[in-house]
Amino acid sequence: MNRMTTQITSAPVAAEPRKVARRRPEASSAARVGRPGFLWALPATVFFVLFAIAPLIMVAVLSFMSWNGLGSPEFVGLDNWSRLADDPVMLKSIWLTLLLTALGVVIQTPLSIVLGVWAAGHQRNRAVLSVVYFIPLLLSATAVSVLWRALLDPNFGIPARATWLFGDGNLFGGQATAIGVLAFVSTWQFTPFHTLIYQGAARAIPQVLYQAAEIDGAGRYRQFFHITLPQLRNSVITSMILMIVGGLTTFETVLILTQGGPGTDTTISAYYMYQKAFKGFDFGAGAAIALALVIAATIVSLIVVRVSGYDKMRSDMEGVS
Amino acid sequence: MSRGTRSRPNYLAGAGSLVWLFLVGLPLYVMLAATVRTRSDYAEHGPLSFPESFTLDNYTSAFDSGFGRYFVNTLVVTACVIGIVLLLVPPLAYAIVRNRSRVTSHVFRLFLLGLAIPAQAVIVPMFYLISEAGLYDNLLGVILPTAAFCLPMSALILSGAMRDISPELFEAMAMDGATPRRMFFQLVLPLSRGGLSTIVVFSALQAWNGFLFPLVLTQSDSTKVVTLGLYNFQTEHGIDIPGLLGAVVLSMVPVLLVYLFARRALVQGLMGVGGK
Amino acid sequence: MKTRVRLPRLLACGATVALALSLTACGNGDGGGSSGDGKIHVLVYGDASNKVEKQIVDKFNKTSDVKAVLDTIPGADYQQKLQTIINTPQAPDVFFNWGGGSIQPFVKADLLMPLDDFIEKDPGLKANFLPSVVSSAVVDGKTYGVPMRGTQPILLFHNREVLDKAGVKPPKTWDELLDAVKKLKDEGVTPIALGAGDRWPTMMWFEYLYDRVAGPELFQKALKGDKDAWASADSKKALTMLKQLVDAGAFGKNYDSVKYTNGSSPALLASGKAGFELMGSWYYAQQQEDAKEFAETSLGYTAFPTVQGGKGDPTNVVGNTNNFYSVLKKTKHPEAVAEFLKLMYSDEFVKAQLAIGNLPTTTNTRKFLDTAADPEYSRFQYDLVAKAPAFQLSWDQAYPPSAMTPIHQAVQQFFSGQIDADGFIKAMQALPTE
Repeated sequence: MNRMTTQITSAPVAAEPRKVARRRPEASSAARVGRPGFLWALPATVFFVLFAIAPLIMVAVLSFMSWNGLGSPEFVGLDNWSRLADDPVMLKSIWLTLLLTALGVVIQTPLSIVLGVWAAGHQRNRAVLSVVYFIPLLLSATAVSVLWRALLDPNFGIPARATWLFGDGNLFGGQATAIGVLAFVSTWQFTPFHTLIYQGAARAIPQVLYQAAEIDGAGRYRQFFHITLPQLRNSVITSMILMIVGGLTTFETVLILTQGGPGTDTTISAYYMYQKAFKGFDFGAGAAIALALVIAATIVSLIVVRVSGYDKMRSDMEGVS
Repeated sequence: MSRGTRSRPNYLAGAGSLVWLFLVGLPLYVMLAATVRTRSDYAEHGPLSFPESFTLDNYTSAFDSGFGRYFVNTLVVTACVIGIVLLLVPPLAYAIVRNRSRVTSHVFRLFLLGLAIPAQAVIVPMFYLISEAGLYDNLLGVILPTAAFCLPMSALILSGAMRDISPELFEAMAMDGATPRRMFFQLVLPLSRGGLSTIVVFSALQAWNGFLFPLVLTQSDSTKVVTLGLYNFQTEHGIDIPGLLGAVVLSMVPVLLVYLFARRALVQGLMGVGGK
Repeated sequence: MKTRVRLPRLLACGATVALALSLTACGNGDGGGSSGDGKIHVLVYGDASNKVEKQIVDKFNKTSDVKAVLDTIPGADYQQKLQTIINTPQAPDVFFNWGGGSIQPFVKADLLMPLDDFIEKDPGLKANFLPSVVSSAVVDGKTYGVPMRGTQPILLFHNREVLDKAGVKPPKTWDELLDAVKKLKDEGVTPIALGAGDRWPTMMWFEYLYDRVAGPELFQKALKGDKDAWASADSKKALTMLKQLVDAGAFGKNYDSVKYTNGSSPALLASGKAGFELMGSWYYAQQQEDAKEFAETSLGYTAFPTVQGGKGDPTNVVGNTNNFYSVLKKTKHPEAVAEFLKLMYSDEFVKAQLAIGNLPTTTNTRKFLDTAADPEYSRFQYDLVAKAPAFQLSWDQAYPPSAMTPIHQAVQQFFSGQIDADGFIKAMQALPTE
């Protein structure tokens, strides 16, 4: 993250006091008139470390131990990790996780951009419709999954009424269709959230840009690709990071819709962790998978941030990110 | 584009949004239809058919199985979580945006890392932590971790919103000799109302729909929250889908009401997430 | 400087006050766990049977100085949560379980109290229950559980109307079943409803066929770690017969997408789209709730068909043998717990269980069968279980918990053709037996 710091120094706003501040971050007062001290961040940080980071560190320690939840944990070194590295289900689960995450991003991003931009219009019907669009977000993952499982029942649900499309309706009997269902249900549940992000961002695009484009004779689609999309860039990145992190940690949907099946064909890593830890009571292996997931999510997010130059943009604005 | 070309309706996007409306509306219709019919009507005719019977039993039986109590518990949890988030996050976001020290930017990165921690990954240590603190089977034991897991997203949203406040305003106030505290209360808080209401809605949703923490950290009926009640309802009543969905609809109503009243603020606040 | 410090401090104070307030506002939990509150904590699986358990606890509290408290955990996560708390101060004194592999890890960790001393003082704790049932809670020669709730054998249910229309009689033998499958298929209905999406309903077919073909010994050997048992000729024969049934189209084509737990497979039978369904005895009450008319007019039930030339006794049953109460070693009130367990064979307990449709396995149950919710059905089950030489506990309960997922995966993959007989044998041989 050195790049950020460089960016800060070259940022247009008052570079001089900041250098002072960096040398004496806490104490200086005269040089940084009106800037809050670190103490402002302290209560939240302590709270967060206590209830999120500390347990995470305990998980990290646990990943080097063997424990079934009953006796006292035993230190086993890299045993859990090497077992996972040789475990075909684990390797398959990583591939499945990446596939589902990628599917989520590829399907949801264009969909929510289009819907979000459309809903940003000020017509009354759009406002009413966007209320309906938001509703899936209010349902817990459990309810969503129960609902869709009932809707996709091969004998009583939609497939039975549309055999031309679904054939014998055995959606959960094959890998491709089962993955398709999972991707669809996630899309159904989370697109509203991302739509809202884009709706908010689209409304914030300065109107003058469009007026200028219209004077130049640019059509609707040119305006979309040359003004709207570039202006939504930051939102795209934020929303993609959230999708990726959400995709990597998807869990309830798989638990209720497919239980990782058929066979192990939809056993994604987060679900595999749950199976290892809470069905098989191998907490050490579960902890290792959990930690691997946290690391993966962090790395992927960092890559997206770097590749997109998002960090640059942020620190060009006022403040550090 | 939506505002740029007001004259011509955009048929393509309009059609797309109608398809989406159907995709969202159909399951919602099925859910509502299922909750007003009898269990045998549903079992015999399937989810897609039009109800042949009408009954409110699914709602009353859901309510009778103790949902009143669960609602109160969930309300307490939600209110406390919102309280903690509102106390902790605004000063944090203020420091993230305005404090220039390296420590603060490390702290911010720590919170970003928190976005990637799934709750189920830390649930075992969490149980020991809460149990050691003597908070097992106590609503406070649910509130604390739930609030902690709301912090990363809330910090991201609110610092985004605070960043949109023009630096000139800070400079002007600093010229007048304003202290950071005065700026916080007179400038930052009033101007980040959108972001504040977003984090309220976000935390409220998290707390209201929270499942894993209550499941593992509570046990008796007097500490049961609505989501657990739903779950229990399912096991207690076998495979009573209409009853279950009735309970789901009941559990949605309060959140929907809040959303309807806070929607504008929510959408505005999300501009913060989008980084403008 | 001054002001800068003061505000965070103010906020910190505010936070503390808020926490203290929420403490008083929210701190109304009962505080579960047994840590020295002078009570016996009884932990049970949360479902509709809880009202009887509550009744028994109330009855116990009327006479006992040491009071009992009933705690429940919502069904599906019972085993997980139990394992999380059983070695902590929150552990209960007495807890519900399925016997077999479900308590084996606890015995290994030396957490449970052998009940043989209790039984010596009060032989009724063993003698008043059906023998085939009690043996499910024996680990390494010691008894660790007293039966509670009831037995749940697996039965073959059918839709009488559908069978009549196809000219089929409830099958007594495997060949009759295959014949029925063919006739029902010709009628255009799915011969057998199967909620394979849940996976354990598929396992039931394996359990019965292995028992009929090879007798209960094969599974017992395998459970003790004899990997050759799975590769034996009998095992292969059972698998061949299952494959035959699947290939004959007995379960239709989309069984992998059908679930039992969302009411889908029972609806197939009730709506006349399927002829049979193999399910635990709770199915009867389920159909009465979901499809009253069907349940009253044309829901039939039989024991699982016999297999010609099979080594297993044709009257053997499989299923959930029973539920049990086990006792933690560290309980501070063993005498009170012993008194509590005695209630499990009391007349009041038996009558209350029968009234809600459960079938207790006490020797005095027969006396009260007429008071059952459905006397005829209860009598059928009771005779079936009482006469059975062996009652095989469900595979996923007999093995230690870590084997559950691999078993479920293997049965599903075999039925959907993802693995063949050799693949299935390999998967079963890889199970942890401990």
